[in-house]
Amino acid sequence: MRNKRIQILFALLVVALLIVACSPAQPAATTAVKATDAVAEVPTDKPAPAEKVQVRWFVGLGAGSDEGTFAPQKAFVEEYNASQDEIELMLEIVDNDVAYDTLSTQIAAGNAPDIVGPIGVRGRDSFKGAWLDLAPLIAENNYDLSDYDPALVKFYLIQEQGQLGIPFGIFPSFILYNQDLFEEAGLNLPPAKYGEKYVMPDGSEVEWNMDTLRDVGMMLTFDSNGNDAKTDGFDSTKITQFGFMNQFTDPRGIGTFFGSGSLVADDGKTAQIPDAWNAAWKWTYDGYWKDWFIPNGAYGGADFLQGPGGPFSSGNLAMIHIHTWYVAPWALGEVKFDWNLAATPSYNGTVTSKMHADTFCIPKGSKDPKSAFKVLTYMLSKEHATSLLSIYGGMPARLSLQGDYFASYTETNFPDKDDINWDVAVAGMAFADNPNHESWMPSFQETTDKYNEFWNKWSNTAGLDIDAEFEQLRVALQAIFDAALA
Amino acid sequence: MTQEPVAAPAPGHRRLSRKVQRVLATSLITGLTLLILFFYLVPMVYGMFTAVKTDGQFSKTGAPIWPASEATFNYQGEDYEIYLVPIEGQIKSMALIKKGRASSTFIDPADEAAGPVEWAGSWRSLERSWEFDPQWENFPDAWNTINYPNLLKNTILYAVITTFGSVVSAALVAFGFARFRIPRKNVLFILMMSTVILPGAVTLIPTYFFWLKLDLVGTWWPLIIPAFFSWGTNVFLLRQFFLTIPRELDEAAMMDGANPLRIFVSVILPQSTSALTAVALFHFFYAWNDFFNPMIYLAGHPEKFPITIGLTAFNNLYAASINMIQAASLVSAVIPVLIFFFAQRAFMQGVVITGVEK
Amino acid sequence: MSLTSKLHALRPQKKFKTKISSLQKKEALWGLFFLTPWIIGFIGLYFFPMVASFVFSLLEFNPTVPDQAAYIGFDNWRRALFEDPEVGLSFLRTIRFSAISLPIGLAFALFLAVLLNSKNVLGSQLYRTLFYMPSMIPLVATVLIWNGVLNEQTGWINIIIQNLTGIQAVGSTGLRWLADPQLVYLAYTMFGLWGVGPAMIIFLAGLQGVPTELYEAAEIDGASWFQRLGKITLPMITPVILYQLILNVIGSLQYFLAPFVLNRGTGFPEGMTRFYMVYFFKQSFTFQNMGYGATLAWIMFIVGIILTVILFGTAKYWVFYAAEDKE
Repeated sequence: MRNKRIQILFALLVVALLIVACSPAQPAATTAVKATDAVAEVPTDKPAPAEKVQVRWFVGLGAGSDEGTFAPQKAFVEEYNASQDEIELMLEIVDNDVAYDTLSTQIAAGNAPDIVGPIGVRGRDSFKGAWLDLAPLIAENNYDLSDYDPALVKFYLIQEQGQLGIPFGIFPSFILYNQDLFEEAGLNLPPAKYGEKYVMPDGSEVEWNMDTLRDVGMMLTFDSNGNDAKTDGFDSTKITQFGFMNQFTDPRGIGTFFGSGSLVADDGKTAQIPDAWNAAWKWTYDGYWKDWFIPNGAYGGADFLQGPGGPFSSGNLAMIHIHTWYVAPWALGEVKFDWNLAATPSYNGTVTSKMHADTFCIPKGSKDPKSAFKVLTYMLSKEHATSLLSIYGGMPARLSLQGDYFASYTETNFPDKDDINWDVAVAGMAFADNPNHESWMPSFQETTDKYNEFWNKWSNTAGLDIDAEFEQLRVALQAIFDAALA
Repeated sequence: MTQEPVAAPAPGHRRLSRKVQRVLATSLITGLTLLILFFYLVPMVYGMFTAVKTDGQFSKTGAPIWPASEATFNYQGEDYEIYLVPIEGQIKSMALIKKGRASSTFIDPADEAAGPVEWAGSWRSLERSWEFDPQWENFPDAWNTINYPNLLKNTILYAVITTFGSVVSAALVAFGFARFRIPRKNVLFILMMSTVILPGAVTLIPTYFFWLKLDLVGTWWPLIIPAFFSWGTNVFLLRQFFLTIPRELDEAAMMDGANPLRIFVSVILPQSTSALTAVALFHFFYAWNDFFNPMIYLAGHPEKFPITIGLTAFNNLYAASINMIQAASLVSAVIPVLIFFFAQRAFMQGVVITGVEK
Repeated sequence: MSLTSKLHALRPQKKFKTKISSLQKKEALWGLFFLTPWIIGFIGLYFFPMVASFVFSLLEFNPTVPDQAAYIGFDNWRRALFEDPEVGLSFLRTIRFSAISLPIGLAFALFLAVLLNSKNVLGSQLYRTLFYMPSMIPLVATVLIWNGVLNEQTGWINIIIQNLTGIQAVGSTGLRWLADPQLVYLAYTMFGLWGVGPAMIIFLAGLQGVPTELYEAAEIDGASWFQRLGKITLPMITPVILYQLILNVIGSLQYFLAPFVLNRGTGFPEGMTRFYMVYFFKQSFTFQNMGYGATLAWIMFIVGIILTVILFGTAKYWVFYAAEDKE
């Protein structure tokens, strides 16, 4: 009796050990090779199923992971699947917080999606080297690029990597202001057109530049006693309304507000801080701690600046510099004040209005790039691009679609508002930043990390020797560049 | 070792003082607990208040900490906020109809006919009039926005199945480690702990690769299967408890002819209910709140998502609906809290008397 | 009968030391039988990824371009151990933070467990649930709550402190919990204390295992509450304390989730919260240096194993098992 039980036990153990011994032996022995070969071997890995080719579309690196966009994106996919019977498009929406890790795990393990996007410059450069050069597919399919501004097509032609995208949506920038706060303060509205002057309360006309913006911003910054930042007795510990901020951007975006530039010199290896950026950063640092019209780190997290679309939508911030993607229901749909778009101010006589541009990329690891390209051309086509763009709030890159885009966009998203000054957004494209504020740097992520660390300190610490800080940052960046290029 | 009190009071007196002592001790200790609990739960209360606030209250300066909305008055078809205005020597509730820097225009809701009144001073220095106004509908709204029933079903299934698997497997393995002479047992044990010590993030890619090759990415299996092969922390915890059960109990059972499996089921398990409950609860809550693994393995299969992923719908790239996140989180915590409340009976002192009766 | 002799009576008496090898073999087989789930799981699920991660540490490996991975020998190891100052710095930060948070966290959990195990607390079931409740709130919500209550301008903690003590706590000149390098570890410790639930429950479960008979005997002997705590309760739950200690040491080494969700791993303020694992995570996933990241993980792994073995080694001097483990 007991013997038998032991025998059974023994048999079980042997079976267990056998399973154990056989199954993992292969992968364990060839781990590295397998992991690295994964991408190369997958195309032949799975024979195409008899029915439909599956194409996976990964969303989450930029727009498209907000709750309100789920349903329309799904509808778009369903419409595509119903429109033909060769390809089954599958949507993978991943929360932005974990989208980068998820995508990098998928790519590394050889399970790359077929289409990734919408994706901006930042998302693209975070996965440098992972994207397919579309040029051969464009040539093979005789894909017509004449409906795009050639400069914009070139924007996606990246050195040593190829044509990584076809233009899809562009997002020019502008000043967005809270009209109610201007009226209450008895101030004139900022210029609706480039080249217009600003009329100060005393009737004098001044150029719409950074000095004017600061002055107006200070007149729109109030403490809880109702004093503005220009008044004696203004209490900087009890601010309840701010004048201006560069919302949802980073130090490179703030620098570009004053002029285009790059942290890496033309030689591609020397760290630098462009003069315009130096001025912009100083202007902002003073705005945090001396002129008080820009919310610093301490105020940034305060409840009274938490609106559904961040600080501006709280109603306690008079002006921001932002892109067209912000003019969307998620940010401005529920606000109880009137707002509009105005010109970006000039610095030293020049206007720089930074630009965002989104597209879709095909990873090199895609199992079926040809089918992916088919889907891509459908998404970018004249007939269907508009419906995607209205989900993400972008202006069409196709010249032929730009005409009525804003009219139909306003009608869909802001039916009650007929005075949105879209013209100034379109006009801003003439002042787009070049080089783009999100463009390549050596060790992209590490560099980003480093300057953000410095910026965090500046926005949270008063009384710094800011020139010395800039120099420290430059040295730190140089060290990163040197290590990257060694 | 301990000394008797030198002069023992009379027995009756002593009993009385014992009673007094007991009441005193009870109220003192209960009071202390409540005090700690009060501070401990401050953030929780903040979360609860947040859950029933309006979207707008966050950005209103001078807003009270409790859920409230500003009192308004409808004047000529528009709603205006009511402020407390010092006017004519008294504080009046007045609706602010036109904001100005130096002076603003108000109207008295009680006396609309009197027409607009100009008040000199900064309206910013005035207090708003607030009304207690909890937004209970945030809970049903949260529920409806994110397809709760389906998420809940997935979460419960996942949590229940993996909890069962992890408790059974951990108990078996822990018994093996606690009671048997096995060659190189210490090495095996450290090997087991090594799976806990090496961060999961570094094995993520090969693990994902493994499941991908088995064609199981996109299913629940990569999340469920590991639970049935015992986790180091659970095994370690149960081993510690099994080691506190005196061996005489097994030996007695062995004398009666019980085999180890029988001893495990009829001696060890009944003696460890509190530890087993603890492991079961931990695992259940872990599975309930697991976010990263389901996201990685279930990407693209929203019909299989658990609640945690559903919650991210409120967490937008740039802005978050803070009140809705809190509301949805509280809703998702209801079931774990109830389970805990009923399961914790296992931790009542004196229910299980371990070991000493023979 | 003294307490110590009572305790001694609980220890197993080694009655027979018969050495029959077949019996031993049988015992070992039974033991292996019970270990089967783990053995299968280890070899099937953990072994290959662990080996793979070690292989990563010998590669220059960017996960987004896996086809470009290259073998570079022990370069990553050399860089981590001798060239990269951030490794040592971030490790020191981890130690400094653990030195504050680990003892406080353990003591608080034990204190709560003893308190809530007391017969003198009315409604202890409810309190246990309430103390555990924060551990059940999903992380997204917890993070928002703490960012809210710790906010220097509008956070409740500063408002309460200011009202209770009169200290100027609110405002940009007040207590800036998450921005002040002096305060940030304390703030993170508070955040950690909020997750005390599981540790409290483990201690509670341990307290259940203390035979009530011992307390009765001690009470008859007239031992005070503190004497009972020191002479019975604590020694009897040493197995659980050992468990908590080891798991908390490992947890401290792996500490990263809180800083990662509170400030996205920026190390704010002044790099104070760039702990070792945060640095590991940045290298592996943000900077895409999976090879170097794996090296960092393996260094931590080795440190963790050494600490675990040491703690286990000390166990025989202070941990009391009623059924002594036998090798």
